[in-house]
Amino acid sequence: MKDLIKQYLDQGISRRSLISGLSAAGVSAVAAKAMAQSLAPFASPAKAAEAQGAMRPVTGRGGDLYVQQLKSAGVEYVFFNPSTGDAPIFDAMVDEPSIHLIKGVQEGAVTAMADGYARLSGKPGVVIVANVGLPNAMTQMVNTFKDRIPMLVTVAAFGQEQLGEEGPQDYDFQEYSLSPITKWRWTALTAAGIPETTRRALKFATTPPCGPVFIAIPDNELRTEATAMIMDQSLFTVSMKIRPDQDDIKKAARMLIEARNPLLTVGDEITLCNGEKEVMELAELLGLPVAGQAEFGTWSKPFPTRSSLYLGPMLRNMQYPGSIDVHLNIGSRYAEVATKGAKLISMRQDPTSLARVTPVDLAMVADVKLGTADLVAAIKSMAPVDRLRRIAADRKERTAAYTRQVGALRQGIAKSLHNGSPIHLERLAFELESELEKDTIFVTDCDSGKSMDPLMSFGGDDKTYISTGPNILGWGVAAGFGAKLARPDQPVVTILGDGSMMFGGPQPLWSMSRYQAPVTVIVFNNKSYNNERNRIWTFSGGEQFKLGRDMTCYNGNPDVDFAKAAVAFGVEGETVSDPDKIKGALARAKRANIDGRPYLLDVDIQRDGIGAGSTYYPEYSIADQRTRKV
Amino acid sequence: MRTPILSACALAATLVASLPAAAQQQQTPPLPTGEGRDVVAQACTLCHALNTVLQLRQGADGWRSIVDYMVLHGAQLTRPQADQAVEYLATNFGPGVNVPQPRTQVTLPDGTGKDLVAVNCVICHGLDRIAAARRTPSDWQSVLARMQFLGAPVSNNDKNTIAAYLDANFGAK
Ligand code: HEC
Ligand code: HEC
Ligand SMILES: Cc1ncc(C[n+]2csc(CCOP(=O)(O)OP(=O)(O)O)c2C)c(N)n1
Ligand SMILES: [Mg+2]
Repeated sequence: MKDLIKQYLDQGISRRSLISGLSAAGVSAVAAKAMAQSLAPFASPAKAAEAQGAMRPVTGRGGDLYVQQLKSAGVEYVFFNPSTGDAPIFDAMVDEPSIHLIKGVQEGAVTAMADGYARLSGKPGVVIVANVGLPNAMTQMVNTFKDRIPMLVTVAAFGQEQLGEEGPQDYDFQEYSLSPITKWRWTALTAAGIPETTRRALKFATTPPCGPVFIAIPDNELRTEATAMIMDQSLFTVSMKIRPDQDDIKKAARMLIEARNPLLTVGDEITLCNGEKEVMELAELLGLPVAGQAEFGTWSKPFPTRSSLYLGPMLRNMQYPGSIDVHLNIGSRYAEVATKGAKLISMRQDPTSLARVTPVDLAMVADVKLGTADLVAAIKSMAPVDRLRRIAADRKERTAAYTRQVGALRQGIAKSLHNGSPIHLERLAFELESELEKDTIFVTDCDSGKSMDPLMSFGGDDKTYISTGPNILGWGVAAGFGAKLARPDQPVVTILGDGSMMFGGPQPLWSMSRYQAPVTVIVFNNKSYNNERNRIWTFSGGEQFKLGRDMTCYNGNPDVDFAKAAVAFGVEGETVSDPDKIKGALARAKRANIDGRPYLLDVDIQRDGIGAGSTYYPEYSIADQRTRKV
Repeated sequence: MRTPILSACALAATLVASLPAAAQQQQTPPLPTGEGRDVVAQACTLCHALNTVLQLRQGADGWRSIVDYMVLHGAQLTRPQADQAVEYLATNFGPGVNVPQPRTQVTLPDGTGKDLVAVNCVICHGLDRIAAARRTPSDWQSVLARMQFLGAPVSNNDKNTIAAYLDANFGAK
């Protein structure tokens, strides 16, 4: 009977067939009619959709059904690394020109490629990896999860008939290991259920707050033939473009108009909602000084950093603008902090994270683009233009005076470090700022490298900045590849430390080479986990600091030649040690990119901070332990 | 409530996660009076406590490189304030000022260069730092170059003598 109803709903068998079928199954005529009546509203849209081609029954193996459902979701790229069990999926792609296969040679790289693609395309990254390689993917999935990026990760799981037998590669309850870093995880138990599971997974992944989802498909089900309804993903798309409560908006508008010394903090949800323009308009309207998130925890620059209203990272007690009375936070998880003497208004896309830690006086859940537009409209409707102009003018001037002097101070610092070999990061920042095109996508997987950010400009009509909030390294080169895939018509430069490069950098070079991704990769090579040492020494003040013995962070010996490593992967590269040669090297990289080729610069960078001079590490030689020279 | 590590500042999330609880509860010790104290007390305690920082002794160049780096990290200082902070730190936490006690006393072996080390290498920290690890010649070279930058009053000539001495007595095999 269940099947019959499902057929009626899914495939649209006629009402008459449903009733006669139900009667045959022993349901009274009256009851059968009543059931048909109550099911009608659910059946008819399905029918209509089918008529429009939004739904179609497909018969095939589980692998075919999966691929057809991806196709109905408009998936263009599948990032993968194969295993034996997932072969039916790739069989199904042999004649499926609408989906391109993008291979990565390690699962972390595959995931970060999909993540970079998702961040810049706004579409979910679709990943297929071997179940045994899943733990490799998980490290990078943490970045995806924490930054609320949509992603579907699929593995071919062990066949159900083999589960629990302790096969050589089998480990039980794999999906549960994904619990802390996915929005949802599921096993598709039957071949016929694969499209439905896939749809549901994509729905969860792409409904804000977005995130990675995981599905396991037992390999026997991928091979099993079944018939199922393939439906357009759009029929399962839930718009979260919700506006905040309008009474709250009025309250917020009033507070902001009357504020004596307000502060606006901005975060990644603005980027996710494409609300940059609206937030800029709001800041301009009231002359609000704007603080961003600090170096960790944030992955985008939602406010033009070159704007005279932009202060830099938010601090607990900001010298400028001094003691604030109203703090409006839009879209930032970490800048949502209560300040003594100030009312906190926080507008957030993610309700689970809003008011999670800090008390909030006025908490609003909204698509922050729409919410900010509402706030702008409310403010305009509540105060005459010239009053608003008066409010804004004086604040704007003071803030501009402050940001001008900070900018000059920073540039002065950079100038003082202009020469010097190994090269100072500040010099590299200077050269990048002067050489990169304004439409460059700047992908950064950096630790100490983040001190370059305030010397460069991002956001608005300047360079696009993407990074990861959690700073889980090994993401950058792969994400740069994904960025270029999503935006082939923009220059992409990806920059990362030597440590980060070794976490996951070389493998994506393989994909760059194979798929001709014209990306410039810059490794700033200080032969050290430089910032890690700075933090370990300064913040813990332990034995390593007291004795000046760096037990963990020096990476030299061997001194890795990344340019040479790149060549092994088919990517041209060069080493840059002379600060005056950065410009020329960037020009060669650009030339190669224009010609359709990736290029890598291995830049010899000074260590800085505490213990910068040390090249010590605890030595050990295995060769010396031998009693036989074998 | 004063927390040594700023929870507003997103980097704190990482720091908090990676620091032992004891380090998170650190409080900056009272700072000696003097011009620039308030600047340091205000601008330098927003992201981390200064406990360890104040164990350092170095000259103006060393302190300037730190203060400059913090400005790039987001510390809010004007140029005059940054200068004041450097001046204050170099005066109150400069070479020879209340040098923190070494953890262990180290007796330097005899040899050419011993006196140079005994005089020049104790004004910012103890000799225990020197004896803590056997280093290769190139490591001693880079450490000494750094010490000069931080304010060790040694000429390049002296540096070579010291390097030879350190290599002979504290060199890796
Ligand atoms: C915006 C946050 C912030 C402020 C404000 C700040 N620091 Fe830091 N400080 C850091 C971070 C982050 C590190 C960790 C090391 C790194 O990332 O290189 C650090 C490290 C240090 C170190 C270790 C050496 C180094 O370069 O890593 C010293 C010394 C230090 N800070 C002193 C200061 C002084 C002095 C001030 C005031 C002028 C200050 N800090 C203000 C964030 C800050
Ligand atoms: C002006 C102050 C100053 C003087 C003088 C000085 N040091 Fe240092 N030294 C430091 C500081 C500060 C550190 C902490 C690490 C850092 O910031 O580089 C340090 C750390 C060290 C370390 C630990 C390794 C490292 O690179 O961190 C060694 C070894 C060392 N010093 C050796 C010496 C020797 C040898 C001399 C004498 C030539 C000397 N120091 C003189 C300030 C000084
Ligand atoms: C996957 C991963 N493992 C370990 C860490 C811890 N960690 C943070 S920074 C860092 C070193 C980074 O070195 P590098 O990329 O060379 O940056 P630098 O500080 O030298 O600029 C490490 C190991 C991390 N963030 N991610
Ligand atoms: Mg490094």
